[in-house]
Amino acid sequence: MTQTETVCLRPASTQDVADIVMDAAAAGQTLAVTGNGTRSGFGNPVKADRTLALGGLDQIAFYDPEDLVIRTGVGLTLDELEHMLAAKGQYLPFEPPRYTGLYGTDAQRSTVGGAVATALSGPRRILSGAVRDFVLGVEGVNGQGDVFKAGGRTMKNVTGYDLSKLVTGACGTLAVLTSVTLKVLPAPRAELTLVLPARTLEDDRALFEKIRALPLGVGGLARRVGADGRCEVIIRVEGTAPGVAGNHQVLEALLPTPPRVLEQEESQALWREIRELSCLTPKADELVWRVNLPATAMPAFVDEARRAGCINRFFVDWAGGVVFSTMRGVQPEVDVLRYRKMAEKIGARSMILRAPDAIRSQFGAFPPVAAGVAALEQRTRTAFDPAGIFNPGRMTVQA
Amino acid sequence: MQMPEPSQAIMNQREALAVALRQIVGQEWVISDEAERRPYQCDGITAYMAMPLLVVLPGSAAEVQQILRFCHERGVKVVPRGSGTSLSGGALPLEDGILLVTSRLCNVLEVDAPNRVARVQPGVPNIKISEAVQHLGLCYMPDPSSQLISTIGGNVAENAGGVHCLKYGVTANHILGLEAVLMTGEIIRLGGAYLGAAEGEMDLMGVLTGSEGLLAMVTEIAVRLEPVPEVARVISMSFPSVEEACACVGAIVGAGIIPAGLEFMDRKVLDAVSVLIRETFDSNTAALLLCELDGTAVEVDALVDVVSDVARNQGAIETKVSTTEEERQRIWSSRKLAFSAIGKLCPDYYCTDGTIPRNKLPEVLNKMADMSVKYGLDYANCFHAGDGNLHPIIMYDAAKPGDLEKAEAFGADVLIACVDAGGVLSGEHGVGVEKRDLMTHQFTDIDLNQQQMVKCAFDPAELLNPGKVFPTACRCAEFGRMHVRNGAIRFPDIPRF
Ligand SMILES: Cc1cc2nc3c(=O)[nH]c(=O)nc-3n(C[C@H](O)[C@H](O)[C@H](O)COP(=O)(O)OP(=O)(O)OC[C@H]3O[C@@H](n4cnc5c(N)ncnc54)[C@H](O)[C@@H]3O)c2cc1C
Repeated sequence: MTQTETVCLRPASTQDVADIVMDAAAAGQTLAVTGNGTRSGFGNPVKADRTLALGGLDQIAFYDPEDLVIRTGVGLTLDELEHMLAAKGQYLPFEPPRYTGLYGTDAQRSTVGGAVATALSGPRRILSGAVRDFVLGVEGVNGQGDVFKAGGRTMKNVTGYDLSKLVTGACGTLAVLTSVTLKVLPAPRAELTLVLPARTLEDDRALFEKIRALPLGVGGLARRVGADGRCEVIIRVEGTAPGVAGNHQVLEALLPTPPRVLEQEESQALWREIRELSCLTPKADELVWRVNLPATAMPAFVDEARRAGCINRFFVDWAGGVVFSTMRGVQPEVDVLRYRKMAEKIGARSMILRAPDAIRSQFGAFPPVAAGVAALEQRTRTAFDPAGIFNPGRMTVQA
Repeated sequence: MQMPEPSQAIMNQREALAVALRQIVGQEWVISDEAERRPYQCDGITAYMAMPLLVVLPGSAAEVQQILRFCHERGVKVVPRGSGTSLSGGALPLEDGILLVTSRLCNVLEVDAPNRVARVQPGVPNIKISEAVQHLGLCYMPDPSSQLISTIGGNVAENAGGVHCLKYGVTANHILGLEAVLMTGEIIRLGGAYLGAAEGEMDLMGVLTGSEGLLAMVTEIAVRLEPVPEVARVISMSFPSVEEACACVGAIVGAGIIPAGLEFMDRKVLDAVSVLIRETFDSNTAALLLCELDGTAVEVDALVDVVSDVARNQGAIETKVSTTEEERQRIWSSRKLAFSAIGKLCPDYYCTDGTIPRNKLPEVLNKMADMSVKYGLDYANCFHAGDGNLHPIIMYDAAKPGDLEKAEAFGADVLIACVDAGGVLSGEHGVGVEKRDLMTHQFTDIDLNQQQMVKCAFDPAELLNPGKVFPTACRCAEFGRMHVRNGAIRFPDIPRF
């Protein structure tokens, strides 16, 4: 990262951002777009002339709990936001992970803008949806310094192109987001988690499938190595108190062994750990990966990758649809390509969550896309940022 | 409704184009005869009509690819069409363009129950997906009222909603992968056939969804399947005033409940349907709410109690709860018949779909009453209250000179009131040609320019469904070289259509 050595600009308003961008565009300078920089290690490393730090844009425009909507500046921290929602019994259903444990940064400083720009969703993705499903509208500044808005604040909206989705997950390569409007939901009144010993990957995946086939509102199905070193399967049920109690009974009947039951706070703490990938405990020189794949392909994929030495430690979330793993940093140039190839072979999407800058620059942190799609992505970038001044190379590997 | 001037040069090539297109799709799949083209002149909005140059029905994505490549080379415009139920004129033909209809692309290609995904062709009617997976206890959640006819391709293009989207989300929330053909004939594949297949790629799928056929022709869709809820029960709640019914909507959500559906009907609608369902409504009832709750039996019973309490506290005159599936269907029949019942009261009606923050419902509904007086046209209200999606039904008589224009003006006033209340022009029907010229009320020129730049990334020749959604052409060639300063209009000289 060269960011620390460059000039850091801290705008306090959307107009400031527009001015900075216009100046940069006029001067032919590039900008590294960040919130509080807690996840600069995510995506490809950026080399830019200046850094734009948006943490100061932390004003809440409105929070309307009855209408389930909040509009806030991108600099508001996720902690503050979640705190405020919790006070009204509401939450962000997409359960945004911070991943600051991976990057050695301060979790409390992770911003809402960062959550939208990286579009990382937590364990509840299987039930409630992804970040993109909760972004109702955005305000941003394009590469020419124009302030634009897209979407709105209503739950339903098909007026014009959904640019809000487009900028979500674009890692600040299309526009500098200045404010976002999010849909929020009432938090479940009750939750509990069932923990039982894991069996084979295929057995556990089959169990996940069986559970997911029932309309029980299960918002968490993971498999990990527990604190005692043994593998466990983890199941989260949420809803009203009577609903949760009822679903608990139905679930127990499906399980091969009686589970340990964690209630409320204990359950929440466990899912925070899963969300943050804590059980991977990657060593300093290890790479961290996320692979999205069809759950049915997961057991064979993991077995093969472990045999090939591409997976060191791993755990599984999203009912088997995502594998988080560490990779030894011994010969990463070789292993990265081998692991990617294995993923590609089964149509899986492999993302490097953490690796040394050189590795991410060379291979790209994001899953490779087909040439035609890459070209369309590039044309879309040009449509927002014609001179390519925002986060150059963040999502693409420069030839 | 002003559309781009048709090109006489292209229209003169009609026969030659038909010959060339027949070589791609086969003799019988290019409709050239005028009588046979007539049924395609309009979509769900019959007020706007145009005769398509030719109607082409491809049988595969490969054929779509060849057709688009050919049209691109010849500079021929293309309008995609599914079942033509659009209520905004999105599938309105162009006289100098071909209509590319997906009726033959109507197969469910694969059902992958373990991964809970189905891969389908765009011409599959929405309901067919749920029917294909019913035996597995699964369904495709988004359920527009038009689901018997409207295609999944059309649903993707309009990002269709439905009665149950309050809890389960709209089309965009249920699409995992898309295959689409760009105007140049290039095939692109986005996401894939499993949850998370689009993670880490730019969300082009998100922007294609709801793009009203302007960006690419969708040729395959991977949709997410969900388990069918164990039980559903509906509560019917009658209120002495519209205000109290609206307040109850907020109170239910405020109580931490997201119903599967929450629908509003005013007195006029109730009177119209009571004839059809042979049921009378209490004379003090000014508005009725239908609230559907679904989930497991225990969960639903608990929620029914809470909602019933809320309704009583909010001044409900009467609440009725369904205890059997039959009862549930009967209670819903009033809502399902609402539009046809109104249709019996007047020769024609016009319905828009502006959407507002829930707490603005009373304010906007009151404004509608004033507008009705102003235009001298009657109206009724039956809408998706839970997500603030209004469907004012404006009654008019097309045979009366000036009535249609008055209805349109009334509708436009409602939409403007929606935007002014912090809402949007369209919640689920799309902009099409109907709301096109109102876009400048919701968006600044900069906002619209940014959207049109995206169009240029997909279709710089502007051949795919031109004249829809945006009040001006894109002029892609000039974009990117211009700068706007302080909100000045980029192209003040561009003629509006
Ligand atoms: C009685 C009735 C009830 C309705 N209820 C609802 C409702 O509850 N919720 C709701 O959201 N809508 C509703 N609608 C509106 C309409 O049904 C939806 O917009 C539907 O999604 C349109 O599907 P279609 O197949 O008829 O598409 P069409 O009308 O044929 O086309 C709609 C748009 O999609 C484009 N298009 C179609 N296929 C493709 C493709 N393969 N690739 C790219 N673009 C394509 C067309 O160019 C056009 O712009 C209703 C309509 C009617 C008549």
